[in-house]
Amino acid sequence: MKRIFLLAFFLNIVFAVNGQKYMTKNGFIGFYSHTPMEDIKADNNQVVGVLDISTGEMVFQALIKSFHFDRALMEEHFNENYMESDKFPKSLFKGKITNLASVDFSKTGTYDVTVEGDLTIRDVKNKISTKGTIEVVNGDINANSKFNIVPEDYKITIPGVVRDKFDKSMAVTVTMKYTPITAK
Amino acid sequence: MKPYVKIALFVVLFIAVSAILAGLYLFNEKHPDMAKAKPDFVVTATVLQKEFEDNEAAASARYINKILEVSGTIVTITPTDSISTNISLKTGSDVSSVICNFHKMTNPSRVKTGDEISIRGECSGFLMDVLLKNCAVIPGRK
Repeated sequence: MKRIFLLAFFLNIVFAVNGQKYMTKNGFIGFYSHTPMEDIKADNNQVVGVLDISTGEMVFQALIKSFHFDRALMEEHFNENYMESDKFPKSLFKGKITNLASVDFSKTGTYDVTVEGDLTIRDVKNKISTKGTIEVVNGDINANSKFNIVPEDYKITIPGVVRDKFDKSMAVTVTMKYTPITAK
Repeated sequence: MKPYVKIALFVVLFIAVSAILAGLYLFNEKHPDMAKAKPDFVVTATVLQKEFEDNEAAASARYINKILEVSGTIVTITPTDSISTNISLKTGSDVSSVICNFHKMTNPSRVKTGDEISIRGECSGFLMDVLLKNCAVIPGRK
């Protein structure tokens, strides 16, 4: 269902010849949590992201299995026990830049933005609002944001004996380097 | 100490040390070495992408979590922020390819766009492209 949505969104973009849509297939999402024993750190460099600069709409989709942990066992636990990625393979963010007027996409520069939208993980949808920056450079657009999420908000249950060892929330970093989509 | 007590103590110590070593081994287990791993499937990028496009559910059941050896022509090489590289392979589709992620040590340095290449990696699934992770280039294969 979500893939149909993303495909339709993408097709809609491809046929819109006004150069207002930007995309990446190498988007980055990383998360981090400190524990006394060792830090939990994962990165995903295969995030698909689309940005419409005329409306400020921002969508990104990530495969849970694309998150890389240095420790193979941690990656296995993440997928099999906590995220159940066979059952919930993808996560989706659908939102928009709320202060679009304060960004001049035609002018090189860095702009502070606020982004609001729905983040869906494990089929649980929550509204999130986060600050970030949009950087316009040489016809490309870079978007950066850092925010926190609480695993329990997405029904990610971490066993009590282990839970005490984590921070309450995970620090998430998103970096998208968009390039313009040109109609073919 | 009686001899059998000594032996018993020694055996217990041996078991304990083995258990600790086994635990440490598992704990420090690295991702599988793709150069040595036996692939579950050997397939071209074109065929793989088409299978996911035609029937994502069936292709997912078949390929996700498996080790794939995928051959194809390199379209793009994209180094990313966190010391990894994405290489995309040409398929029959203009908008959908096979994207292989190489992490840290296995960054391929001597490949360029247009090269015919074989890549072994684990299949993560499908967004707009088929996505592979923990990839390694398999040398000498077309």
